[in-house]
Amino acid sequence: MTDSHDSDDNDRRTIARLADDVVPTLIERLVHSELGELEVREDGWRIRLRRPVGPADDGASVSLADAAATRVSRASDAADRSRPTEQRPRAADRPARPERPRDLLTAVAVGYFTPRDGVTAGAAIRRGDVIGFVDVLGVRQEVVSPLDGVLRELDVEPGQAVEYGQPLGRVESSA
Amino acid sequence: MFSKILIANRGEIALRILRACRRMGITSVVAYSEADRESRAVQLADEAVCVGPAESRRSYLSAPAILSAALVSGCDAIHPGYGFLSEDDTFAEMTRAHGLAFIGPPPEVLERFASKAGTRTLLAKHGLPTIPGSGMLRDDAHALAEADRIGYPALIKPSAGGGGKGMRMVRSPRELQQAMTICRSEALSAFGDDSLYLEKWLEENRHVEVQVIVDRFGHGVHVGERDCSVQRRHQKIVEEAPSPALDDGRREALAEAAISAVVTAGYENVGTLEFLLDRDGNYYFIEINNRIQVEHPVTEMLSGLDFVVEQIRIAAGEPLGYSQPDVLLRGHAIEFRINAEDTEHDFRPQAGTITGYLPPGGPGVRMDSHLYAGYEVPPYYDSLLGKLIVWGPDRAAAIARSRQALDELIVEGVVTNLPLHRALLAHSTFLDGEFTTNLLDRVGSGAFLAAARAA
Repeated sequence: MTDSHDSDDNDRRTIARLADDVVPTLIERLVHSELGELEVREDGWRIRLRRPVGPADDGASVSLADAAATRVSRASDAADRSRPTEQRPRAADRPARPERPRDLLTAVAVGYFTPRDGVTAGAAIRRGDVIGFVDVLGVRQEVVSPLDGVLRELDVEPGQAVEYGQPLGRVESSA
Repeated sequence: MFSKILIANRGEIALRILRACRRMGITSVVAYSEADRESRAVQLADEAVCVGPAESRRSYLSAPAILSAALVSGCDAIHPGYGFLSEDDTFAEMTRAHGLAFIGPPPEVLERFASKAGTRTLLAKHGLPTIPGSGMLRDDAHALAEADRIGYPALIKPSAGGGGKGMRMVRSPRELQQAMTICRSEALSAFGDDSLYLEKWLEENRHVEVQVIVDRFGHGVHVGERDCSVQRRHQKIVEEAPSPALDDGRREALAEAAISAVVTAGYENVGTLEFLLDRDGNYYFIEINNRIQVEHPVTEMLSGLDFVVEQIRIAAGEPLGYSQPDVLLRGHAIEFRINAEDTEHDFRPQAGTITGYLPPGGPGVRMDSHLYAGYEVPPYYDSLLGKLIVWGPDRAAAIARSRQALDELIVEGVVTNLPLHRALLAHSTFLDGEFTTNLLDRVGSGAFLAAARAA
């Protein structure tokens, strides 16, 4: 253990270095990523940047990431508006799904599902096309088509809460 | 009080929390991975939400998945259980940032007690003796220098978690260097954090821990101690209370020191302070567990308290409502962790289908388990199948009831460690209350099993 003056000085130097070198890089990365939060640990220090996700968020960590805030906070507002209390997943209608058919579209995460604009039943789609998104805490995760074909009915409404692996619809293979 | 709680865990503890919710009239939502679709907790839950695949990093350890599940199901609080996200201050803070309550210490309290090295320094200031140890290890060179200062043998420990993962005892610089890499990767996969520290290794010691409950208003009580000296590779196997190694005077002094230190240091909610006890009866604080522990039922049997209910009440801001003289401890209790592991083959973890399950019964016998006939034990998680907890008016009576209960218990389909428990109850070292934490590793559990077979 060093004495307290030494460690104070060390702490100051470390903080200065982290603020100059690491924080700007992290802000840059967060702005250009789909991530909601970034955290690094270095020399026993921890730096965390988080996108603001709701009114309860604290200001301190938000101010650093303000630049990154606009786009994603809009996404979470949309989720808030469409949050359907009567459409929560229930134990009773959990899908029984030991085998997952190849033509099945499933939720990639637990959250709120939104179809991509223009994607409706009957649309011709290709393997890897984005069908929609699951909004997880304001961060959109893509649902992509497993094969080339035609989208049959979507089983879930826009804004509906879905659980991981929940069937969302089927793609009729064009092969 | 909360109206709906998300249970972010699995196995027996998910059931335990679910029962507490039901008793309190709170709706329970079980968050589960794809591997736990057919689990008892999912069957009994008011609601259940699949949060991810079997891999725990993407399900039980995924803060976004757990939080999202709580939000879409309309919960107002999350109970993390033990392990997984239970002591993650970042997760606790995210939970609060989304307007939900974290059932456990508040984030700033968790953060204060998150680092084991930091907590030792903090509680040493509040009067608890500690074992010589290092701060967070920066790299191998730093580890070697610190080990030289502390002296060998030394124990490598992960800063972020418990349960024996990422822990190794080393006797030389060579062993230290070899073990560091293994410990780092074990700690990283178990807790998502590979920071390690060193502690002086006491050759012959007992593990004794003090249960505490502190409310938001700084009122706290201790609920006595537990002795968890029967361990294999730092994994507790059998726990009992009171400790056979302490007389009433020392017992009281230890518990008083523990509760007064955590109250003044600003702890909140249910927690456990772990100590090592040396041959001369000196105790050293090693770490605090900021969560419900696997072995909490031992103390429930003695006190009549329900620690999960207490966790929920305190997280909801209720005052404790009682004080130290109201906490009465009666009799003796022993807990046996029933694990799916093959004691004959280096305790290899077992997976498979449970073809038969019959829990024991009778006065003072409690079985906390998620097993049922037909249940498939998944290979992805820890090997705990359940806990047998047995109470008696004194230690001898508790041991006699335990023998009977262990004989009655039937688990078919997977190999369990039941033979080791029966062997322990036939061994004079356990019967005399003389167990030390490294005994099983030093003597080898094979010797205990062989002795029991010969008897």
